[in-house]
Parts: sequence; C-alpha cells; structure tokens
Amino acid sequence: MNCHVMNMVCLSQRSQAKFRIILPILILIAVELVHPTMSCKNEKCSQLLHRSLKLTRLMSKRSADLLETYKASQGDSADLICDMQMDNVPVSTISGQTMSERILSVYTHLKEFLPHMKTVMEQQKDLNPPINPVVEGLHSMITHVHHIAQRVNCILQILQPNIPIPEPAERSTGIPPAQNIFQQKAYGCIVLSRLQELLSQAVQEQKSLKGKMCKQRTKNGSL
Amino acid sequence: MGSSHHLLVFLMFLHYAVGFTYNCVKILPDSSSSIVVEVGKNFTATCHLLEGCAYTSDDIEWRLGNLSIAKQSYHRINETAVSVTINISSDMSDWLKCTAPKESLSYKPRSIYGIFLRAGYPPLKPKNLSCIAVQEDKDISPNLNCSWDPGSRNPLIDTTYTVYANVPGTVLTHKADCKQHLARFCVVNLETFPIHMVLKVWVEVKNALGSERSELQSDSSYFAKPNPPLNVQVLTEDKFPTSLVVTWKHPIDRTILKLSYAIRYRKVTSNVWIEVPESFTRGYIESFRLQSLEPYTQYVVQMRCIGESNSSYWSNWSPSVTERTTEAKPASAPDLWRIIRPTSNSRNVTLIWKAPVKANGKIRFYNLSINQNNEKFESHNITADNLSQMYSMELPAGKMASIEITAYNSAGESPKATLSIPRSDKELPGVKDMSWSVRDEKLQVKWTAVLPLPHPLKLSEYLLEWVKIPQSVHQKELPAGWQRVPKNVTVTTLNAGLEKFKRYNISVYPIYKYQPGHVWHFQPGRPVTRPAYVQQGPPKEGPTVTVTKSKKNSAELTWEETPLDSHQGFIIHYTIFYAIGNTKQWKSETVGPNVHSYVLTDLASETDYVVYVMASTEAGSVKGTDCTFKTMKYGDGEVEVIVVVVCLSFLFLTVFIIMICLRKREVIKKLLWPQVPDPSDSSIAHWSPDFPIKADLPKEDVSVVEVDVFDGKSLCEEDKGVLPLKKDKYLSEEHSSGIGGSSCMSSPRHSVSDSDEGDSGQTTSSTVQYSTVLGSGYKGQTPSHQPPAFARSESTQPLLDCEEHPDHLNESQSRSSYFRRGRELEPGVLAPECDGGSLTFCPVQEEEPSPVAEEPPASALCYMPQKSGYRPQ
Repeated sequence: MNCHVMNMVCLSQRSQAKFRIILPILILIAVELVHPTMSCKNEKCSQLLHRSLKLTRLMSKRSADLLETYKASQGDSADLICDMQMDNVPVSTISGQTMSERILSVYTHLKEFLPHMKTVMEQQKDLNPPINPVVEGLHSMITHVHHIAQRVNCILQILQPNIPIPEPAERSTGIPPAQNIFQQKAYGCIVLSRLQELLSQAVQEQKSLKGKMCKQRTKNGSL
Repeated sequence: MGSSHHLLVFLMFLHYAVGFTYNCVKILPDSSSSIVVEVGKNFTATCHLLEGCAYTSDDIEWRLGNLSIAKQSYHRINETAVSVTINISSDMSDWLKCTAPKESLSYKPRSIYGIFLRAGYPPLKPKNLSCIAVQEDKDISPNLNCSWDPGSRNPLIDTTYTVYANVPGTVLTHKADCKQHLARFCVVNLETFPIHMVLKVWVEVKNALGSERSELQSDSSYFAKPNPPLNVQVLTEDKFPTSLVVTWKHPIDRTILKLSYAIRYRKVTSNVWIEVPESFTRGYIESFRLQSLEPYTQYVVQMRCIGESNSSYWSNWSPSVTERTTEAKPASAPDLWRIIRPTSNSRNVTLIWKAPVKANGKIRFYNLSINQNNEKFESHNITADNLSQMYSMELPAGKMASIEITAYNSAGESPKATLSIPRSDKELPGVKDMSWSVRDEKLQVKWTAVLPLPHPLKLSEYLLEWVKIPQSVHQKELPAGWQRVPKNVTVTTLNAGLEKFKRYNISVYPIYKYQPGHVWHFQPGRPVTRPAYVQQGPPKEGPTVTVTKSKKNSAELTWEETPLDSHQGFIIHYTIFYAIGNTKQWKSETVGPNVHSYVLTDLASETDYVVYVMASTEAGSVKGTDCTFKTMKYGDGEVEVIVVVVCLSFLFLTVFIIMICLRKREVIKKLLWPQVPDPSDSSIAHWSPDFPIKADLPKEDVSVVEVDVFDGKSLCEEDKGVLPLKKDKYLSEEHSSGIGGSSCMSSPRHSVSDSDEGDSGQTTSSTVQYSTVLGSGYKGQTPSHQPPAFARSESTQPLLDCEEHPDHLNESQSRSSYFRRGRELEPGVLAPECDGGSLTFCPVQEEEPSPVAEEPPASALCYMPQKSGYRPQ
C-alpha cells in the first residue's frame, strides 16, 4: 500500500518534472509558430506605419514602372491587350467602412495578388528569355508585396489586436486556366495594372492612418 | 614420420597466426572514425577484457601513439576493466591503444585495440559582425557582404562558418556557406534586398566540439551603403568673393533611402579638411552655400551621404571638385624694398616689391609714386608680372626720396606701402654685429639689437636681405630677396630657397618708423653685410697657373683667381704642387686664399718642371691645369761675365798682334811685297820710261785670243756675270790680250809683272791691273826701232781662272788644245761659251822672274804658236 502510495507520489513527481521540461519547449514551439506576428512588436507603431507607407509608395511607383516595362516588352498590341476584360483577376477596389476593415481589405487583396503575380512571372519566363527586366521586376515585386503584406498585417494587429486576421486561401481566387499567348499577355497586363491600382490605394489608406493609428495606440498605452 | 612432422609445424604456425590476430580487448568510448577531444580537458577511456580472455586487468597497458602512458594514470575498475585519464593537449591527435601483451614463451594470444583521438578547440564566437549591401544602379544590391573577426585561435579540427539572413516574419531564410578556413567574410544573396524591412543576419560557426553564433538585426537600411552624391558641382557668384555654392543630385530615390549629406572642403594648398557641421546639411537638400571663405582662393570640395538619422552606412566621398572664389580688393599693402648701389657721384636705387600677402585676386598693376626732397618727382603705373616688379632710378647722394606703391586688382586697390631713402650722410645706425650659421640646410642669422633712438624714430622691425653674387648679366630678375622679422627678434632663419654652392651677401637692416603727419614713414638703417653659403662644395675649377719668371734655381708663378661663381665656397687656401718632369715626386707649398703669385725656390737648373695649383674650400679641393717650365742654365749675370771676358780676351789678342806687326813690319813687308828689280837700275839696259808704247804697236801684230767652245754648260755663274765685260775687253783691248798672250809666249824673263801683281791673290772678280811690258831687248837683241818700254795697263778685266789658280796650270795645259785662233771663232759665240773649265788664259807667272833663261816651257801647250802675234824680238 505504502509502496503504491509512494509509487503514486513518485509518478506525480516524475510527471511534474517532465512537464517542467516540456512546457518551455511547447512555448518555444508556439512562439516559433506565431513568429510572424511576434516580429511586429520589434518596431514602434509610428516607425512601422512610416516604413510600411514608404515601402508601399516605393512599390506603387515601381509597379507603374514595371507595367511600362511590361507593355514595352509585349509588342505593338500592348494597349489593346491591357484593355481586355478578365474576370478571374482580383479587383483592386478597397472595401470596408472602418479603418481596420479597409486595411484588412488591402491585406486580403495583396495576398490575393501574389499567386497571380507568380503565374504572370512564370508565363513571362516562357514567353521571353528567362532573365529579362519584366521577370526580374516581377520577382522583386513579389518579394516586396510579401513584405508590404507583412507590414499591413502588423498594422492590422495594432488596429485590431484581439481579432485574428483571416488569411486568404491559397489559389482561392482562381488562377486562370490554360491560356494562349495573347491571353497570357493580356492577363499579365491586367494583373500588373490592378496591382498598381491596389498599391496606390494602399498608399492612400496608410496615409489616412497617419496621426490616427499610433495616437490611438498611445492613448491606449500599448505603444 | 616426415609428413606428420610437417603437418605439426603447419598447425603450430596456424595457431600462432590465429592467436596473433585474436583480440579480446575493447575500448569505450569507441568510434568508427576519430574521436574529437577538446584541448585542455581530461579524457577518460576504459579498456575492457572481453569474456574468455586469458588476460587480467594487470596485463593491460595503455599507449598513446608509440608512447606508453604512465601507470599513475590508470584506474583499475575491476578484474576486466582498466580506465585511463589523460589531459588533452593540442599535439595529441594520435592513436590511443589498449594492449594485452603476449608474454615471452607464452602461447597466450596478443590483444590490442585503439581509438583515434583528434584534439581540437570548440569554435570561438565571431566578433564584430557587419554586413554591407552597396548601391547598384538605383537600387540596393541583394548581395550582402558580411565580415567578422573569427578570433586568432586555430580550432585544429574542421570548422564551418555559415551566414544566414532572413526577414523576420517570413519563412524564407537565405544562407551562404563560407568555404575558407577560419573564414572572415562571406556573401549571402538575398535575391531581393528587403527595403524598409527588418533584416536579421547571423553567422554560425560549428565544429565537433560545439557551435557559436553572432547576430545582427536591424532595419535593412542599416545594411545599405549608398553611392556618393551625384553630379557634385561648385559654383562661384560675382560680388560674393567669400562664398561658393555646392550643388548635387541624390544618388538614390528617397523612397528607397532618404539621405542626408556631409560636405567637406579645404584650400588647394592645404591638406586639412574642414567639415560643414551635419546640422547645417541635415535634410533632403541638393545645394549648400559655403561661406567665410577667402577671396580668390582655390578650394577643393567633397561630399558624401548617409541614410537620414544615420540609418545606413556612409557613402564614399565623392570625387574632388576644385573651384576658386572670386576676387576682392587687396587687403594688405605690397612689400616694398630697395637696393642701393653707390655710383661715382650718385646712387643707383632699384626698387623691388612683392605682391600683397592678402592680394585677394590677381594683381593687375602697381602705382609707384616717387618724391624727391618732398616734391613729387615721378609716378608710374607698372604692369604686374614677375619680370618687371622692380624699378631703377638715379638718386643723387644729397637728395632724399620717399616712395609709395599701391597694388590694384580687378576689385580695387590695396593699402599703400611707403619707404624713405635718406641722404647719403643721413643714414640711421645699423645693427652692431651680425653672424650666420647653417642649420638644417638653412641659414640662421643672428645679430645684436640696435640701441633705442631719440624721438620720433622708433624701431619698427628688422629686415634681412640676401643678394646672390655674382649677378649674371643676362639675369632679368634681381637675384635678391628679403624677409621682415619683428623688432624683438635677433635671430631668425632665412626662409629663402637659397641655392647650394652659391655665394650670397646677407644684410641685416633695422627699419625705423616715424610719423611726420598722419602716415607712418619707414626708413632703413645702415646695413651690416656678410657673405654666406648655405652649403659649400669643392670649387668647380682650379686656377690656371703661369710661370712669369724662370731662373736657374727659382721660378715665379702667377695664377688668377677663378670666377666667383665657380668657387662654390670660401677658398681657404691654395696649394702649389710641383715636380721634375715625369718623376711624379710632387712637392707642395700652401699659401693663403689672397695670394695669387709665389716664387718656387731651390729648383734644379736647366730642368723641366710641372706645376699646378689646387684651390681648396672646406668641402674639398680641385686642381688647376698643369703648367710646364724649364729652369735656366745660367744664373743672372753669368752670361754677361762670359761675354765680357771673351771680348776682352779678343781685344788683347788683337792689340798684341798689331804690336807684333808694327815691330816686325820690315819683315812682313819683305814677305808680302818682295823686292822687284828696277829696270832703271838695271845694269843690262837703260830704262826709258817716256817711250811711247801703244802708239807704235802695230795693230796687225795684235793677237786675238780666241776661245773655243768646250762645254757651254760648264760656264760658271760668276763668269756669266762678268762675261759682257770680258767680251768688251776681248774685242776692244787686243793690246792687253795680246800682251797677256805675249807674256805667256815670251820668256818669263821678258815678261815682268808690275808690283801690283801682289794682289794677284784676289778673287777672280777683283780687278787686276795688267801691265804691258815691252822688252827693249834681251841679251843683245835690240829692238829694231822701239825703245824698251814698260806700260801699266789700266784694265779692270778680271783675271782668268787659270791666272787665279796657277795650280791648275797643268790642267790648263791639257785644255789648251781647245784654244783656237781668232779667225776660227765667231765673235758672238764667245760670251756664252765662257767656261771656267775651258775659258782659260795662261796666268801670268807670279813667280819672281827667273834670272835663268829657259826655253819656252809648256806654254806651247797653252797657246797656239803665234806666228804673227809678236814682233820678233
């Protein structure tokens, strides 16, 4: 009996010891899993907004340049192909009533555009030499749009810290099916055009946060 | 029997062989590869005897490499296990072996087991990690150049360095493996530089003994290094001589990296940079005005940039841009000086000046105004250039002058510089003493301060003047300079670039000032001057020596001083070297620098000497050209004495001979002029001196001697000269010739020469008086109608050769066959055929007439028989 009791005590002591070891590991894993959100807290609110705005403004400008480069590389029918209508390309319209909703819309749209940009890049690799200004620009643009999305995510975390940010499903917006070359060119042009529009609106949305977001956070005492 | 024995031996060998390889020991820890052990730490290994092993733990022996490990390090665990603990050092990378040795003559198998130990160090943490991404075109390069300090300790074992980079929040991590041993740098490619994102970079170093890492995390701009500002320009502005405007372009778009700028500048002549405070250039600007600069001065400007708030690396400095500020009017007066050279009744004053120190521009011209005795004398505008910054004038000794000069540039005029030149007898006192020395290849001048002068004269400063001598005639610039020093200084170093080996006259002037009105006047005092060299050298050339007087045992040498320019220093002495001919046994004499002639004594007479003179400065010597001379055979007066003695001796001899002649004159007379019998005193016949001779001589009886041609070429030159005369005589004075011939034909007793025949010893060119002796009969042969007569011929016809040389008579005899009679000879042929060898007459016998009558001797050989030439006696 005593032995059983002792065994029970011993067992409970052993499990506590194991828990002490496992718990930090679990916490560490959890921290690592939520690493993206944790990185936002390395920066001050104003600094975050400032850098995000600068990056978005830069990419807005570069997307315009990239669109021009794209058009120039597609031949004489560039204007024609860019006027075509395609339904399966994300729209650039920012929706929402509140500041948070609009920033979330920006974030969602950015995420939606990323797979389309990758598709255009792959198509351009096939249409043109693998290394050309359009492909290089797209490759760089994809990285930077990722970074903008990350910044906007951080802004969203500040704007609505208690609400989880919905991640758009991969390829949920529907990548267009097999296309001919003309369609590919038109598709690429539309994607870049709408991306440029989106980034321009994103700049405006972030500008509108100036003087509001960080002031609000300061009042709340978080930053 | 034999086969079984062989089988037994084979089995024993097999057993031994199997036993040799049999292993019943094992080491723990064990590894198929090497076991890495840390230097400095203890390492413990245990050797286990496997089951069935015949050894005990006492048999176990540890060896590291080939060396046994001391037993003290062993630890016997039980009967079958022994451990050993060793302290690892860096040289212990070797086999650690556990052996159970076979005893001698034992059949126990030998066992051995080993592990390979590799000693090393754990990696050190990299220090000072830094990563730079430079600007490429209009973007930041994705290549991140990272460097760090790996530490100086060699880990001894394989160690890898890996650089990682990622943007926190993203899953993509870039990495670069650095292949070098003890890598110090590595480049990691980020594919796209994460603008405006946080970037995390770390370097991880790993080896078998552990790992270390260093980390950097910052905004990505901190890793960026922009290019220098573009198109940096420096602009000048009129009417702003103290400022320059710097403009530039941003090297990178502000959306990527917003920059702030730094500007630095310096004078071209200076190496010290002046940096504009960063607070002045803060902000996203593209121009800046540099102020408080000096007018008309060249400045060098450079720029660099950095992310605002120092958020990036500094760029490199931009290339230098040089620009000159615009002109302002001169801020200081020209430096005016004068050089005075006294002439016979005046002073030659050369005014020289330097441009104002603060010229603030290019001086265009100078306005020079000269007053003499307080009256305006002359005024000139002198163009400013290096060649004409001087002005010469004559100033009488009794006049004073006041000079004013002003410099002008494009912006205006300078303050005025003044200088007074007093009358010659009104010079102010100078410094008392002055000396110089050379220090660090520069002249240091020291002087004694002047005593204070009564009011209103005040000592203003001292002025040191240097003038190169000798001055070249072709030199356009005045080889002079001057330097002003404050009045409280009595020793200073000349800052002039004085040439080596050149002589300079260094003068120290006190400069006095007084204020007669509102303007200060400056007047120099009396100078003290010393010659000086900043560096002396051996003379360029030696003096050329000449021998002015050479005597029997001495010679006077003279040499001229070489040109001052070739001295290259102060001549301290001359050395005269001389030697006999080629003997090279030189003797020398040393004389002072002011001596230029010397008398060499104790020389050998009538001997060739070589001499040269060597000039010496403190830096060396150089010999002049050789000179050769010969001493005299006789000393002074010796020749005169000999001449006088000889002359006197000759005089005495002459007198002595004359005396003898006077005393013995009768004897001499008889010898020279023998007694000729006087026909008048003849006892044989009577002498009738008045008998006409010539009148009665029948012309047809004259015999003309004709000379035959023997050899035209043999006619002597003397005979040619006298030939015309002879010809005339021959043709016109037949009497004489005939008489000559008759004298030869006639008996010597009848042909008696006059006493003048004593001169017959004269040369053939001398004239000889011929006598015509007309016999009055001999031995009873009385002339038919003519009295005996003696006539003296006044002919100047020269004697014929045979007459002059009676010794040649014999020869004449042999030649006599060439004489022909007159009609056989053409008269014209006679003269050129006169020959010494052929044209001969028989000489008149100068012997005393022999009293004995003889038959005509060999005269027959000399003359052809004259049948009708003489009248029969």
